[in-house]
Amino acid sequence: MKQLVFPGDKVADEPRRIPGCFVEDGKTYAANVSLQSDDHVVPLKGYYVPKTGDDIIGIVDEERFSGYNLALNSPYGASLSARDTRDELKLRDAVYAKILAVNEVKEAVLIEPQKLAQGSMIAIDAVKVPRISGRNGSMLDTLAKFTGSRITVGKNGIVHVEGGNSELAMKAVEKICRESHTSGLTERITKMLEEQTRKTGGQGD
Amino acid sequence: MVEKADLFKNGKRLDGRGPMDLRPLKITAGVLDRAQGSALVEWGRNKVLAAVYGPHEVLPKHLADPPKAIINARYIMAPFSGQEEHGRSGPNRRSIEISKVAKHVFENAVLVDQFPKTMIDVHMEVLQSDGGTRVAGITAGAVALADAGIPLRDLPVGLSAGLIGEHMVLDLDKYEDNLGDSDMPMVILPRTGEILLSQMDGMLSRDDISKAFDMIFQGAQKVRDKQIEALRQSYERMAAQAQQGENNQ
Repeated sequence: MKQLVFPGDKVADEPRRIPGCFVEDGKTYAANVSLQSDDHVVPLKGYYVPKTGDDIIGIVDEERFSGYNLALNSPYGASLSARDTRDELKLRDAVYAKILAVNEVKEAVLIEPQKLAQGSMIAIDAVKVPRISGRNGSMLDTLAKFTGSRITVGKNGIVHVEGGNSELAMKAVEKICRESHTSGLTERITKMLEEQTRKTGGQGD
Repeated sequence: MVEKADLFKNGKRLDGRGPMDLRPLKITAGVLDRAQGSALVEWGRNKVLAAVYGPHEVLPKHLADPPKAIINARYIMAPFSGQEEHGRSGPNRRSIEISKVAKHVFENAVLVDQFPKTMIDVHMEVLQSDGGTRVAGITAGAVALADAGIPLRDLPVGLSAGLIGEHMVLDLDKYEDNLGDSDMPMVILPRTGEILLSQMDGMLSRDDISKAFDMIFQGAQKVRDKQIEALRQSYERMAAQAQQGENNQ
């Protein structure tokens, strides 16, 4: 049974490390407005804070002599050394990369960059990324099957859509974000995609 | 013209309330689309709008505090908000003071160490004032922060108590504030009982202060309930919209 918890509400009698919660006097309390079900506490809103090993999508927002600064849909940015990339990047280029390290003020260093081709992008709340991916990527598979688009999701909440019926894919991503906290979402999204593809008669170009 | 003698008669206050009664309070969360979090507090004749932006890069950069986020609180009265001189000339000594004390309140309620080297803006705009706007502003700011998804230790709750003659009353309006003997706005964290703000205008004895504390702690629970209700309704609105969207398809 899911229930809403609010900042300051106790979620566990013992200290536990749960996203969106904090520990005080040996007990765990909610720090955000969140949905709690048994062991899970999922905040309704949140911010992306870079973490080592995360695969993210960054947007080039500054070119430096020795590399690039990227915006991450987060209060914090990341840097990419020119030595680590073969592509020459320009302002506003999108890059899929891995976070190699994060320093004490949460600034990230990126490696293994892949420049993303022209396409559409949308920035969503990072706490909704698991809903876009679905269990073992099931939601992404559904989206790809119906739209024929190549969808890349960064852990920081930037979604890149390329080819196929990208308009429908974006619409579905927006719907997932809007309704991420409701149950029966997968069925609703599948139904919507089925109806829309039937109307348009295919996956677009 | 209201006289001091009118403020408390036969156990009732000017507007018919008892000493412990609050003015009608309505809080709505998520009223602004562009802000990350927002809230409108309608408390008696007070109307305060709060909006939260951030965490974002600190500007100007020299203000940055590397281990934690800093709060940029801004309390201001709209030029049309009051019956008298408040707010008519924009930022002034009073609004700078209230912005400063509100900043300290939010710094102690937000988990600032989760966002090092950033800044969180909390704007509190008083659209209509009738006494007790600083506590109404902070109460609104707290809901806006929660609505924005900023992690908080608890929702700060603001409330004032004051003395009219020999009667201690809760939640003073403009006449009680101006003509009464003294008033004490306070902000607390109900979960831990911490006091984040305590100011006083006028004179209160030790016993009076103790009584005011008791009344505020008791009344604060009602305000917190309204804050929670506002956040719950905001969530229910989202869920209903999702449901409606499905029905329209």
